[in-house]
Amino acid sequence: MAAVLGLIIGVVIGVFVRPDIPVVLQPYLPIMVVAALDALLGAARAYFERSFSDKVFVISFFSNVITATLLVLLGNQLGVGSQLTTAVIVVLGIRIFSNVSTIRRFIFKG
Amino acid sequence: MREPHEHPEHEERIPKISRQRVRDRRNDKTQTGTFPVVRKTARKPATSLRSRAFRVRLISSILVACLCALLAYGYVIQVNNTDVTYETMSEAELTRLISETNMQAQSLEERKSELTRQLNSLRESANKEAQAEKIAKENEETSGILAGRLPAHGKGIIIHISQGSKRHIDAATMFNLIEELRNSGAEVIAINTVRVVMSTYVRQTNNGLECDGTLLSTPYVVKAIGNQANLQNAVNMAGGVGSQLTVKFGATLSIDTSDNVEITEVQSVPDYTYAKIVE
Repeated sequence: MAAVLGLIIGVVIGVFVRPDIPVVLQPYLPIMVVAALDALLGAARAYFERSFSDKVFVISFFSNVITATLLVLLGNQLGVGSQLTTAVIVVLGIRIFSNVSTIRRFIFKG
Repeated sequence: MREPHEHPEHEERIPKISRQRVRDRRNDKTQTGTFPVVRKTARKPATSLRSRAFRVRLISSILVACLCALLAYGYVIQVNNTDVTYETMSEAELTRLISETNMQAQSLEERKSELTRQLNSLRESANKEAQAEKIAKENEETSGILAGRLPAHGKGIIIHISQGSKRHIDAATMFNLIEELRNSGAEVIAINTVRVVMSTYVRQTNNGLECDGTLLSTPYVVKAIGNQANLQNAVNMAGGVGSQLTVKFGATLSIDTSDNVEITEVQSVPDYTYAKIVE
């Protein structure tokens, strides 16, 4: 409930407030979004497993985002930025898929 | 509460004891099992526990909502961020993009030159049209004056001819006068109220001269626009029309030059039955 509400609020704010993203941050924003999505889906899975903890969620959210960003930053500095971006996206995609499948199993079992 | 009144003698005798008994009885009557103090102490931690759980849940939902809002916000911004980030593109993609852009630029350039050519041709044709219009207007004016459709004014002469004292002026002489004026370059001629055009005729009738269906009354006034000296010469030439008029018909002739001879008489345009314009 709170998650859905938050998503709606975020979309509304994003529609009405358009900040200029600094150029330095521009290549990292998509990665950040995907990482945050992964954290959110992990939290949803934990919620269905009845082991949801808000602390864990917050920590995983930020650690996911920061790790992904740092990884891509490192890749950019080493000259393999695009490859590493792809790697991060692939890994996060796999995690998202596995989380979704777990959630689905919970929903259809319950 | 009525207890003290039941045994008044006892109360008087041993007030201390009876009072104590009354107190005891009252205390005995207090219903057991629900000690308010105990209950209060038992309830208090329960409510605080519940509220703490509620607060924790509220905080966690707020956190979740905030993070979800952050995620959605980032998502929407990224979606709306239309500038392509070239930094994340590979070399091959960049090369492809450059060649595509070049091709596009080329085609746009071609299109631009084509449109420019079209624009130029349109402008040219517009110029031509404007020129043609100008010429047509000029033509219209000149031919209008020539054909007698438009009134005209300008330098010229006015000739007054009185009725001949010897005999009436005949049509041939009158026509001769017009011809002389024409030959000397008169641009516009009018006799009395008749505009002289190409088809103008002068005819002799019993009542006098008739010009284009209008009877001319004396004195005849002939107005002509043109070079004043030439026109005067044409009339005054030795043995010319002027002398003919004075000598042969005994008419008096007066020629006035004017810088602004106004000929307001106009002729209607004839409908051409046979003549057609050559396209």
